[in-house]
Order: sequence, then structure tokens, then C-alpha cells
Amino acid sequence: MSCEKFHDLRQRWIASLNSYIPILIYSFAVLGFAAVSLLLPHLVAPRKKTPIKDMPYESGMDPVGDARKPLDIKFYLIAILFLLFDVELLFLYPWAVANRSIVTPETKFGILIALLSLSGTLFLAYVYAWKKGVFQWRRK
Amino acid sequence: MISWDYLWPLFVAMGIVLAVVPIAGLYMTFVERKLAALIQNRVGPNRVGPAGLLQAVADGIKIFLKEQVVPNHVFKSIYFLAPTIGLICAMLSIAVVPFGPTEVGEKEGFRAIIAPGIDIGLLYLLAVSGLSAYGIILGGWASNNKYSLYGAIRSCAQFISYEIPLGLSLLGVIAAAGTLNIESIVASQGPGLMHWNVWWQPLAALMFFTAALAETNRLPFDLPECEQELVGGFHTEYSGIKFVLFFLAEYTHVVTVSFLTVLLFFGGWHFPGLTDSVDSTWGGYAVRWCVLLAKVALVIGLIIQLRWTLPRFRFDQLMGVAWKGLIPLGMLNLVGLAVVLTLDLSKWWLAVYSLIIVLLVGIANVASTRRTSTSNSRSNIATDLRSAPYEGAS
Repeated sequence: MSCEKFHDLRQRWIASLNSYIPILIYSFAVLGFAAVSLLLPHLVAPRKKTPIKDMPYESGMDPVGDARKPLDIKFYLIAILFLLFDVELLFLYPWAVANRSIVTPETKFGILIALLSLSGTLFLAYVYAWKKGVFQWRRK
Repeated sequence: MISWDYLWPLFVAMGIVLAVVPIAGLYMTFVERKLAALIQNRVGPNRVGPAGLLQAVADGIKIFLKEQVVPNHVFKSIYFLAPTIGLICAMLSIAVVPFGPTEVGEKEGFRAIIAPGIDIGLLYLLAVSGLSAYGIILGGWASNNKYSLYGAIRSCAQFISYEIPLGLSLLGVIAAAGTLNIESIVASQGPGLMHWNVWWQPLAALMFFTAALAETNRLPFDLPECEQELVGGFHTEYSGIKFVLFFLAEYTHVVTVSFLTVLLFFGGWHFPGLTDSVDSTWGGYAVRWCVLLAKVALVIGLIIQLRWTLPRFRFDQLMGVAWKGLIPLGMLNLVGLAVVLTLDLSKWWLAVYSLIIVLLVGIANVASTRRTSTSNSRSNIATDLRSAPYEGAS
């Protein structure tokens, strides 16, 4: 890559990063907003501690045990499936953005086949997961 | 490089968002209570100010004067951090959403968006609003309360499940405009009525609205905080301003979702009859603004009305809607979209395709409901009901 081309790319990169400066400034403003609204009641509001106020709320009963308990959750499979579909989406977004410029009479069938085989493969995985009972949340 | 000319439109836009969003949040609670009263044949708030209009102000003052209860058993740093994260993520996601007409000629350098010209607008929005799940999960865990923990875990499952149909439904919008920038997506839907995205991909619009509503954790998708099962869900141990920060985040999400629905599918500030000749004047600019805000108000009204007319899902139904309903529909929609876009067919084929799918799913649904309602014996239903409370956790 020639030096000028590199310089040009670098300039464009900096220009595209510049459009994020407002978000940086705005994020400081939002942080300040949240911090001020959290701190303000500490200054003006009354405080009175009682033993009942300090208890975990369990519908007015004395709490039974601690909330730090191992919990059987079926999320492991859901999380993996989520990753599967999210990766699919990561592939599909660039296609959606570039679609107009990459589709020509020569390439269109190739792109269509690629898209259909990508989503077809995932669909097979989806059907397999369904048959395996991943989406079964009710006890039989 | 950063001059005053660059900074003042930013400060004006930031000022508008930071002032209007909290006030709008407070007033949405008021409008919501009034509408709920209307639906349930009650009067609703009418004591503070004329017709109860100052109720929101009174609520705002009350919030700041309430005691900051910090129970002994919570994990303090994360307990305070969680609502802050929730609010920051909700507010940051607005940065790329135009809240007024932006393409209609820059008015003296001002643009009704905080960060104009972000190439990856929609992707940024999905990423940042997805992060707000952290606020809920951390809040639920740090509260060290069983209700909070279950609420937080449900919320996590809900968030990641509905993230996928949300992403799938946006593909068509992005492909039609060829960009992720929301301003350009709106620009591509002008000027006529028939240019709106909703007409040629009604299925995607419906999916987007459903999934986005689920991401806001509101009824009928408010399983993370459903009162009858979990007291308050993830915010059981939160009160005063910290509770309000959570709710401000929720209402901010509602505002964002309403804006997005209008901007992505209903043509944003475009309306038939409003042509470019109108735009050169300030009056035309104001009309455009009114059109956008009127559409957004309609969507917000719809969301509020949905809350008071639909019953809450059961947790397995909620997950079923995402995994057995919306995701297969999204994949079908994607196949249609791919065929239409790559083979360069008329985009109206997609509308026909969507309608056929909706019709088939509707027929299949009615048929299956009929079958189960006749074959299920009473004892079967009774066992179903008994096992219901455990499903979220198992």
C-alpha cells in the first residue's frame, strides 16, 4: 500500500471517529445527570434507620435463608442458541448494507445461494434444538 | 477543530434530550394513569393542579425528598451502580435517534440529533440498548433478595431471546436504504405514503414492534417485575430516586422504541402532501416536526393502551413467543427478503409474501387452539396450572 493511500485511509478513519465525539460529550452529561440525581436526595431527604427497613422484603415475613443460592436455570442452552443466531445476524448485517452495490446479474444467484445456505444451516440447527426439547419450559 | 460552531448545536440537542426525556417520562406516568382510569372506568389523578396536570411535578418533588433506604444486606457499590447503568444505557441509545427532521436543510447548523452522521447508527443503538440488561441483572443480584434475583434472571432470558427477532426484523429496512444510519433510512422513505417501509414489509414491522416492546419490559412482557409473582422483581429492594432511575430508563426505552417504530417503518417526518417546497421555510420545518411527534405520540398511546388491555404472558409463553413464534417468522421473512432483493424483483412481492405467511400462521394458530381446547380434559388443565409457577426457575 502506497504511503499516500495509507494517509488517505487514516484521514478517513479519523473523520469517521470524529462523528463519535458528540457521544463522548453526551455520555459525560448523562453520567453527571445520573450522579446528581443519585446524590441530591442524600442531601435533602430525611434518614432514619430501623431494623425492619434493613430486612430483605419477603412479603412481610421474616426472610428464609439467603438469596445467594445456586439456581437451576435452563439458560445455558438458550445462551448458546442466542450466540448462534447472533453470529448469523453479524453476517447478515453487512449483506443488508452492501446489498445494493454487490448484487449484479452475474453475482445475484451466488449471493442468494450463500444466503439461503447460511440461514438453511441455522434452520436445521434450530429444528434439531426444538426436537431435543430446548424450547420446552413446562414440566411434563 | 472543536469550535463553538461545532459545539452549540450539540449542546442545544443535548439540552433538549436531557430536559425533555425526564419530564416526558414523568408526564407519561400521568398520561398512563389517566388512560388506565379511563379504561377501568375510574377518575384517575385529579387533585394536584387543574385536572391533575401538576401530579407529575408533585411526583418529581416527592422523589427527591424521599428517604434513601439502603438495606443492610445489599452489595452496596453494585446496588448503586445498577440503576445508573440502566439509565445511562437508555439515555445513550437516544444519541443516534433523530428527534426532529434532520434532512430538511440544516437550520443555522442545528440538527435535531445528538450525534449526526454515525455510520453504524442502528448497530450502535442495538448494542447500547442491549447493555441495559446489565443494569437489571446487577440490580437484581446486588439486592440479595430472592424476588429480585428471579426477576433479574427472567429479564436476562427475555432480553437475549427478543434480541434476535429484533435484529432479524431490521434487515429489510437496512437493505432497502443500504445504510445503518437512521437519518438516511428516514430519507429513503420520502416523500409519498407508499414509500413507507411498513407497506412492503408488514411482517417485519409487526415483529419489530413486538420484540422492541419486549425489550422495554412493559406489559404484556413485564415478567421481570410482575407484581403478583415477584412483588417488584428486580426493583423489590429499590425505593426513592434509585427506583425512579430504573423507571426513567424504562420510559426512555419506550420513547426510543416509539421513535424507532416511526422512523424506521412509518416514514418518520414524511407525510403525503408535504413536499420539498414546504421545507425551505421555518413553518414547513415546524410542520415536519409536528408530523413526527404526532406519529410518535400515537405509538406511545398504543403502547400504553396495550398495557391496560392485554393480560400478562406466562413465562413459558413469553419464551415461546420469541423462540417458537418470532424467530421462525423472522427466518421466513429473511428468505423472502433475500429472494426479492437479490433477484431484483418488485418489493411488493415481499408484501404479498408477508401477508400469506401471516394468514397461514393465523389459520394454523386458530386450528391448534381449537384442537387443544377440545382434547384437553379438565384435570390436564389443572396440572398445567399447578406446575406453572415453577417454570421460570426450572
